[in-house]
Amino acid sequence: MSLPLSWGHRYLMCPPEHFGVLYEINPWMHREVNVDADRARQQWENLKGTLEQAGATIEVLEPATDLPDIVFTANAGVVSGTQFVPSRFRHPERQGEVRYDVAWFEARGFTVDQLPEHVHHEGAGDALPFGSVLLSGYRFRSDAASHAYLSRLTGAAVRSVELADERLYHLDLTFCPLDGRRAMVAPDGWDRYGQRVVEALVPELLVLDLDQALAFCANSVVVDTTVVMPSCPPEVGRQLESWGFDVVVCDVGEFLKAGGACRCLTLALDVTLGPQAAR
Amino acid sequence: MATETFEVEGHIIDSLILAKVLDTILDAGAEYRIVDVEIGRASTDASRARIEVEADDGVLTTLATELQLHGANRVEDADASLAECDRDGVLPEGFYSTTNLRTQVRLGGQWADVASPEMDCAIVVHDSGAATTPMHRVCVGDQVVVGLDGVRVQPLERPRGANPFEFMASEVSSEKPKELLVGEVADRIRAARSAGGKLLAVCGPAVIHTGAGPDLARLVRGGWVDVLFAGNGFATHDIESNVLGTSLGVLLEQGLPIEHGHANHLRVINEVRRRGSIAAAVADGYLTGGVMYECVQLEVPFVLGGSVRDDGPLPDVYTNVVEAADAMRALVPGVAVALMLASTLHAIATGNLLPAGVETFCVDINQAVVTKLADRGSHQALGIVTDAGLFLRLLAEHLCS
Repeated sequence: MSLPLSWGHRYLMCPPEHFGVLYEINPWMHREVNVDADRARQQWENLKGTLEQAGATIEVLEPATDLPDIVFTANAGVVSGTQFVPSRFRHPERQGEVRYDVAWFEARGFTVDQLPEHVHHEGAGDALPFGSVLLSGYRFRSDAASHAYLSRLTGAAVRSVELADERLYHLDLTFCPLDGRRAMVAPDGWDRYGQRVVEALVPELLVLDLDQALAFCANSVVVDTTVVMPSCPPEVGRQLESWGFDVVVCDVGEFLKAGGACRCLTLALDVTLGPQAAR
Repeated sequence: MATETFEVEGHIIDSLILAKVLDTILDAGAEYRIVDVEIGRASTDASRARIEVEADDGVLTTLATELQLHGANRVEDADASLAECDRDGVLPEGFYSTTNLRTQVRLGGQWADVASPEMDCAIVVHDSGAATTPMHRVCVGDQVVVGLDGVRVQPLERPRGANPFEFMASEVSSEKPKELLVGEVADRIRAARSAGGKLLAVCGPAVIHTGAGPDLARLVRGGWVDVLFAGNGFATHDIESNVLGTSLGVLLEQGLPIEHGHANHLRVINEVRRRGSIAAAVADGYLTGGVMYECVQLEVPFVLGGSVRDDGPLPDVYTNVVEAADAMRALVPGVAVALMLASTLHAIATGNLLPAGVETFCVDINQAVVTKLADRGSHQALGIVTDAGLFLRLLAEHLCS
């Protein structure tokens, strides 16, 4: 088995105190669907506990009223070492989250570097490291033009992938790095150029079909050899296990109502991008 | 058709973004030209490309939206800056100095062609558009383009596909089969003429000395020459050879100097001066043949530019060089092919006036003339190193028989 990921041992999460589907900014959100607050809280606690059990440390961001999606901390920004690049959200509904995210990172001594105002980028939701490369999605939430700025700020080689299916609106619904050589991928979510970019980047692919992608399989969190998934079809589980991973399924059904799963609820804090990035 | 420039930056090679952008442009039925590209040297380095896109207005607008999606943004060009002339014949400081290439200026957000491309001029903007204007012709109140913003030049496009001149890999040919070259020049002249272009002949006195006067006269008589530029010497020796049979006192038939022949050219100049003009000398039967005679008969416009060493000069010669250049300039529009025949100074003077798109053939026994012409900015000139007399004889045979 190849070397495990060098990152993924420290995460930022935000409890779902004020979570709900209060607006519709992706095809999964329907305001008429009620979120069960207690179940959401239980699911969130369970995810947190599972990650801790797998060996991860969890830091907590205080929830903020009127910002239901702040639970999806993956979209707070891009972390690289002690640098934090806050998101530029496309939708006004989420733009209010930024000042809370920035305050949290500033309080912990991070250097905050801003993307220019005229571009959109939704943080780790649309940017995941693989080796020394930062793979970043664009079209629905992030702009392709933001990638050059992101590269300039972090020093990372950013490879752009155009997202092609509105239901898979963030890169982290289509791509999940597993270790130094492998990743779960949902090529149906990318255009043909994006598919070639990922094929060239990742030596061993676990290809998810469209149904598996739409079941948020790629929106999983990897802690060393543990893969924490919102659901796991048997064939995916078998492949992961044959590669030496332990699969833990965490029900995050309440959060799926807002179009987010395990990865969306976490932001890795131990990522280093750029030339210093380890495997 | 409209043209806009787009810029895309980042890891555009590894991300196949550049490939995608170019494919998108072609898929939309537009054409692209990569104006500038900087490829990152290491995998972490970003790359940058500047792409000029040409398409119909409507297509370009749609395309711009699509390209923006992939991070290729329209480069917002600035309008050209203008400054007003405060003295006749004096340009504002920092004026834009032109090339002979097709040039456009951006005014009010729109790119417009600059009329009459000519090197070493200024661009003056009028209500009717922009045009090159030589320094001495600007007037108080003229709006002159200053600085480099909002000005762009279009490099000369080498014709794609089979080009009869592809075999001339070097710009100067001294070791090429001349007969073949002359045939190609004849074909180019025929093609340009059938497309409505004019042929300009720029002649040095060696055309007459080498005995090629009758061949050039035959070309004029055949209607192949539309405009002729020369100096006092060429016209004088052409007349001398037709009236007295000598060129600078040398009998053209035998190649021998005749006694007191050195004064022959002065005698003909004197006689033409007596009559007031070359046309008058033709009218009263003094001049009955030759290049100048044919020009008068066929009403082919000619400009004879003077110099300080001229004898006489002939009454038609412009003794004011600025007026001479203006007279030449006025005849340049419409010229598609220029033949520079054994002339150094007139060839360079003409080269200065011609737009880069004019096919220019510089025929001279001396390779340095061709090089000199190119060094002075007439890069479109193709040199044929040969005797002008032989060249004209072959050309007349190709075109007139």
